[in-house]
Amino acid sequence: MTTDECRVWRERLGALVLGQLGPQERAATEAHLEGCPDCRAEADALAPIAAVLQRADPERLTPTPSLPPGLADRIARRIAAERRAARRRKVRLGLVLGAAAAAATAAVLLALSLTGSPNTTTPAQTVAFQHLPSGVSVSASLQSRPWGSDVQVHVRGFPPGTLCMVWLRGADGERIPAGSFRYVYAGETDEAELSSALDPPHVTAVGLEAGSRTFVAHIPSSGSTHS
Amino acid sequence: MPQGALTQESDVREAYAAHAGELYGFAVRSLEDRGLAEEAVQDTFLRAWRAGDRFDPQIGSLRTWLFAILRNVVIDLGRARASRPVVTGDVPEVGHEPLEEMLVSWQVEEALRRIGDQHRRALVETYLRGRPYADVASELGVPEGTIKSRVYYGLRALRNALEEMGYDD
Repeated sequence: MTTDECRVWRERLGALVLGQLGPQERAATEAHLEGCPDCRAEADALAPIAAVLQRADPERLTPTPSLPPGLADRIARRIAAERRAARRRKVRLGLVLGAAAAAATAAVLLALSLTGSPNTTTPAQTVAFQHLPSGVSVSASLQSRPWGSDVQVHVRGFPPGTLCMVWLRGADGERIPAGSFRYVYAGETDEAELSSALDPPHVTAVGLEAGSRTFVAHIPSSGSTHS
Repeated sequence: MPQGALTQESDVREAYAAHAGELYGFAVRSLEDRGLAEEAVQDTFLRAWRAGDRFDPQIGSLRTWLFAILRNVVIDLGRARASRPVVTGDVPEVGHEPLEEMLVSWQVEEALRRIGDQHRRALVETYLRGRPYADVASELGVPEGTIKSRVYYGLRALRNALEEMGYDD
């Protein structure tokens, strides 16, 4: 089969896959395809394009409207504003943390005098929440501090404005609040830095009350501490 | 966080430069309202930025991801509009064509816009409008065989255009 011969057949392949050939020409073209794997492959490659072509509406082929001027800048400004708001949110949480730390100071001083030097270099302990609704993610980590625990919480997927309250449960079942925050932006992960007077080794569970729902992550006992 | 995640403001600007035109075109096509379409494109990039750490180029292209977000935005905007009281009787409705199918249609139309004028005319007149080759050939003053070869090269060009756009069936 010479290339020139194939070229003649090839140029019929568009009409073939679009079903535009008369019966005779169609039969002749198909006969060629039987004996020519290259042309067969070309016809097979065009067939799916022919299938989607019918989805086009010929009345809608006018040029795509150009992008509204200034849209890119408006988006950039919105993003910058959200970034600033997120930063303020973190600062606010930091202030809450500071207040909590101050309130706990007296207890901490007492605890220090009883237990000796504070543990400052323990790595953060990550807590996994299971059985969350789809689209929701919650995680927490605990870091040992002189006053108890830093509790860092990441949440995503609640309705914007959802009030979130976090608590830690101690070895004998008491709940110690770690603080509260509001989940702000749909689709964004909110990071809250909270604190609690309970030390990480004494924590048996971390709870998150979000709106009317409560999610609890149980921490398996390490066996090192019991009260 | 995956390599290539969309977390910097400059990432969003690049994504806008590469894909906003197409996204806007589809939004206009599906919402039939330029003001709403502009809102849809803005929401799409804001949502993309907020969820940027979840974008993983290993899993799918940025274009596909942005179109998936736009699809959700368009559905939300369509719902919001549907819930508003209708004042006049001739407000175009969203959703008379399912959105997925509309996305396919729009991509093929966009690909048709990108191929050469002669190729597009051959495909549109003979196939989409179903006119006989002889009519189209005499209108354009060329032999029928020329129309036939334009249909073939037009389909090839359409395939390339769809590939360049990242269309995957």
